Amino acid sequence: MKERIRNFTKRKEFGIILIILVLSIGLTFMSNAFLTIDNILDFLRSNSVIGIMALGMLPVLISGGIDLSVSSTIALSAVVIGNFMLKFPGSNPVLVILVAMLSGAVVGLLNGLIITKFKIPPIVATLGTMTIILGAVLLYTGGMWISGLPAWWSSFGNFRLGSFATAAGGTTGVSTQVILFVIGCVITSFILKYSLVGRGIYAVGGSESSAIRVGYNVNRITVFIYVFCGMMTGLAAAAHISIVGQVDPNTYTGYELDVISTVVLGGASTMGGVGTVFGTVLGVVLMAILKNGLILAKVPTYWQKVVMGLVILFAVSIDVINRKREQAKLVRVDVEE
Amino acid sequence: MGKTFLEITNVSKTFPGVKALDQVRFDIMPGEVHALVGENGAGKSTLIKILSGFQQPDPGAKIMIEGKETKLNGVMDAIKQGISVIYQDFSLFANLTVAENIGINEIIEKNKPVLNWKEINAKAEKALAFLGAEKEIHPRDLVENLSVAKQQLVAIASAVAQDARMIIMDEPTSALSKNEVEHLYEIIENLKSRNIAIMFVSHKMDELFHVADRFTVFRDGQYVKTVNKNDVDENTLVSLMVGRKVEIKNYADLSEKGPVALKVEHLSKRGNFKDISLEVHKGEVVGITGLVGAGRSEVAQAIFGINHPDSGKVYIEGKEVHIKSPSEALENGVAYIPESRQTQGLVLPKTIESNITLPVLKKYKNKLGIIDRKRQRASVDKWVDMLDVRPNDPDMLAMQLSGGNQQKVVLAKWISTEAKILIIDEPTNGVDIGAKAEIHQIIRKLASEGTAVIVISSELPEILSVSDRVLVMRKGRIAGEFMNDDLTQEMIMSKAVV
Amino acid sequence: MNFIKEMKSKHSSEFTLLLIFIGVFIVMGILSPDKFLTSNNIKTMAFQMPEFGLMSLAMMIAVLTGGINLSITTGAALSSIVAAFILSSEFGKSSPGLSVVVALAACMLVSVLTGVVNGTVIAYVGVAPMLVTLGTKTLFEGLGLNFTKGGSISGFPEVYSEIGNGTFLGIPIPLLLYVAVVIVSYFLFERSAWGTEVYMVGCNETATKFSGINTKKTLMLVYIYSGIMAGLASVLISSRYNSAKTDYGSSYMMQAVSAVVLGGTSIAGGHGTVAGTVIAVAIIQVISTGLNIWGVNRYIINIITGGILIAVLALRYITKVMEDRKKIKMRSAQSAAK
Repeated sequence: MKERIRNFTKRKEFGIILIILVLSIGLTFMSNAFLTIDNILDFLRSNSVIGIMALGMLPVLISGGIDLSVSSTIALSAVVIGNFMLKFPGSNPVLVILVAMLSGAVVGLLNGLIITKFKIPPIVATLGTMTIILGAVLLYTGGMWISGLPAWWSSFGNFRLGSFATAAGGTTGVSTQVILFVIGCVITSFILKYSLVGRGIYAVGGSESSAIRVGYNVNRITVFIYVFCGMMTGLAAAAHISIVGQVDPNTYTGYELDVISTVVLGGASTMGGVGTVFGTVLGVVLMAILKNGLILAKVPTYWQKVVMGLVILFAVSIDVINRKREQAKLVRVDVEE
Repeated sequence: MGKTFLEITNVSKTFPGVKALDQVRFDIMPGEVHALVGENGAGKSTLIKILSGFQQPDPGAKIMIEGKETKLNGVMDAIKQGISVIYQDFSLFANLTVAENIGINEIIEKNKPVLNWKEINAKAEKALAFLGAEKEIHPRDLVENLSVAKQQLVAIASAVAQDARMIIMDEPTSALSKNEVEHLYEIIENLKSRNIAIMFVSHKMDELFHVADRFTVFRDGQYVKTVNKNDVDENTLVSLMVGRKVEIKNYADLSEKGPVALKVEHLSKRGNFKDISLEVHKGEVVGITGLVGAGRSEVAQAIFGINHPDSGKVYIEGKEVHIKSPSEALENGVAYIPESRQTQGLVLPKTIESNITLPVLKKYKNKLGIIDRKRQRASVDKWVDMLDVRPNDPDMLAMQLSGGNQQKVVLAKWISTEAKILIIDEPTNGVDIGAKAEIHQIIRKLASEGTAVIVISSELPEILSVSDRVLVMRKGRIAGEFMNDDLTQEMIMSKAVV
Repeated sequence: MNFIKEMKSKHSSEFTLLLIFIGVFIVMGILSPDKFLTSNNIKTMAFQMPEFGLMSLAMMIAVLTGGINLSITTGAALSSIVAAFILSSEFGKSSPGLSVVVALAACMLVSVLTGVVNGTVIAYVGVAPMLVTLGTKTLFEGLGLNFTKGGSISGFPEVYSEIGNGTFLGIPIPLLLYVAVVIVSYFLFERSAWGTEVYMVGCNETATKFSGINTKKTLMLVYIYSGIMAGLASVLISSRYNSAKTDYGSSYMMQAVSAVVLGGTSIAGGHGTVAGTVIAVAIIQVISTGLNIWGVNRYIINIITGGILIAVLALRYITKVMEDRKKIKMRSAQSAAK
């Protein structure tokens, strides 16, 4: 048991938890609005969208790839389900979610095929599809909003599980979006830990050539990774539309950065091979606290972008510096002392 | 012994630039150790890739396993047929646990979408126990935290765990110490007794004669001969490998040397080397040898500014220097030719000219900062001629050259900097015999012109041929020093090995 | 004649690109002769292409080292916003001439700084360029927003607009600047010691470092050069629009990657020519202007730009695979004949 605790303190996740604790304590002193049940549930709700996308991005980063096209994919899925609901006002939330995930999966399939069939580096391939898909979405919508979604959709989006008393005297509960995020976490962590393809993702990220040598079908794994990322992004689109109640195809630019920085903050290595769902959840929470803190601390909106930029620079630098330090400490020769 | 496990005939493999294998054959019995020997470029690694299903041979190849003709269309095919490979670099996943590395092939072969971790861990434990390694290695350890020898045990355990009937070992001892090699021999005996066929790929003669029952020799992608161990001696085997008699010349020159060019005092770096003190005089060639992993390259890289020592001093021509990067080394007249020519020594996709002039580009600048191509070409021509690089076309890409000519280009690169101190790590690794002698001559010529040279090599004949003085390293320390005067391999080994 | 032959064999890919350019130009001319082939339209292109070309050079140098610079457009915007801040201030109104000089100097200083920030994290910390520049992209945008408060800054002295809109001897000033920069870039990339180091780092950073090159410095200069090119582009953009805003020129990021790839620069680094990029820029400019004139939606033009990127890379991969197959066949045939 003692050893387990010691091992845990050595893990990256421990450091993130410490940062979260320190920030939370600071924010609690700064504003008594921070540590209230409704604030927490609220910021979890609004950050669940990035959280669900982060779950999709996690396997991509573990495999050593990157997907810049998620911001266009979420716009596409949002437009698809927006139109779907207008056309079929008699359908139901489950069907809408499936349609959203399917549309995301199609984009992921496209990415995966381009990357594996033509050996185009993921950064360039997804930069290309990002432009193409956003272009197509804006061409189709003309940049117009989609509103007037069915009433059952907004009640789905505003549903709360359980009821907790808030300080203001009302009640609140766990929102649909948080539930979706939790389900996403369970599925993703099952895939990564217990499925053949999930282990293949770690293997590819650890050493692609070795993965081929032991018999993993690397191309199939790569396609899976991007399809999964697309599916999660589609799910995130459904979550987002259920919060805001309308579709604005222009609102998602820059989401890819938020998502990637969240996953990197959560301890996934940018060099591949390393990353866990637990870490990503912590990354989401840390990111949420940072954003929430900036608002509570009344930092002007424009500075928030600056802080976000600095945070990702910091996160990726720490990752590299740590790895370099570990490598320098590596014992290469059994020196006779 | 029973009937043949694997028999291949008429196997060829053509790559865009080269025919790597030309109608070779090979066969192996259960419980036999059959060594595949040959120089670099003989086609050994290509055959491994074909037998592991990683690459497909040209049409017309015939592969028989237990008398049945089969095709190895993919890695999984080979594993299903009971062939598994332990690569020189082990091909392990550093980011995964020991258990997963051991079980990975079975995990993939079973193709069950959901994994049972308990079963995987238990199987790994069993495989480790089979090798007698269950105490030192825990299934849940991360591979990146294991030493090289333990990593190799994991690789062997992985082959054992997938019920391999033939294990291919590619240069298995290159990273092992003497004791660990002994342990490997025991394991091989153990595997033999279980009727597992072992294809042992190596070029170290003492090992080959220790473990192998038969030898098959390849040369330049072609099959030469298969011989029983008892029917052949080392010299015959070597001449089969190289195709001609090899004569090793002794260049040692024990006369008085010039002043001290490089002096190292008590240089230490944790986990790399300890208390290294040495001197190299102008015009002297000092050989540093020892087992792989004794810390030889680490010392050289510390002098060259790639590694940074924890303590100790380095003097060049009597002045203390603090070299922190290769560019500072260049300024101080220190040159280092790394062991890995392909990844560290050369920029392969670029021309001979760009490679040779890379460190001295500034010399060819005109007033506007633009490179004077005529002047650059003239001096490249000079170096190419002097070292007899073939083909002597400076526009040729480095990747198109043979190993020996590539090494000459690296040498030319550093000679052109007029370095005072030249450190060469494994100067003839992957170089054919003819070019080897030429490179030795170049080294001696440089020394005779006043360069202080350090030659690091595992090949004792090479050390004995080019050095004036020999330092032997063991476990990160200098364990012995000899003048190259009636020095023998045995004397060196007695210091290199405990 | 011999000279042409030699040029053809040595620079075959640039030659093909030139043919494509001519082809595209003719097609556009035939499709809308009354609009495309007017002196007015040619002039418009001559004013637009330089900023796109400068952005592409900014991208190219990063790609040559095996990296990428996703922050070129927001870095450029930040530089021009700082310049705009000076130009639109009281100082700009009281002494327009001097303020333009100060503003240009400030713009260049900021663009160098953006390069230093990227270069420091990439070269000295050792983080992958795509992640660094993804971060600095937001960072620069945020800093720019702090100046503009989300809007745009306008109201510059008239002299300033001359830079992007004026002509000298009938030739657009942006074009003159572009030609000068292209010539300088050619000598820097392909004829200077630093340029050679850049190509070598792009092929194999370790081997280059082990050859005694200070690769960190080489990389640092790469991102500084990239920043300066983007900064120069931002001067042209802000001068043409007579205002500065964080999202001006943001579409150039994607277009620049496409132009660099179309121009034959290897995405893995180490190979590519200035001429290739310059011709590719011209091709993409002609296509987008032509489509624009034709009344094609600008979103379609974006889709085409992204499509070019992927199509070119896919095509290049397919040709390589086919060439390899041909070589193997020839070799097998040869050895069979023996």
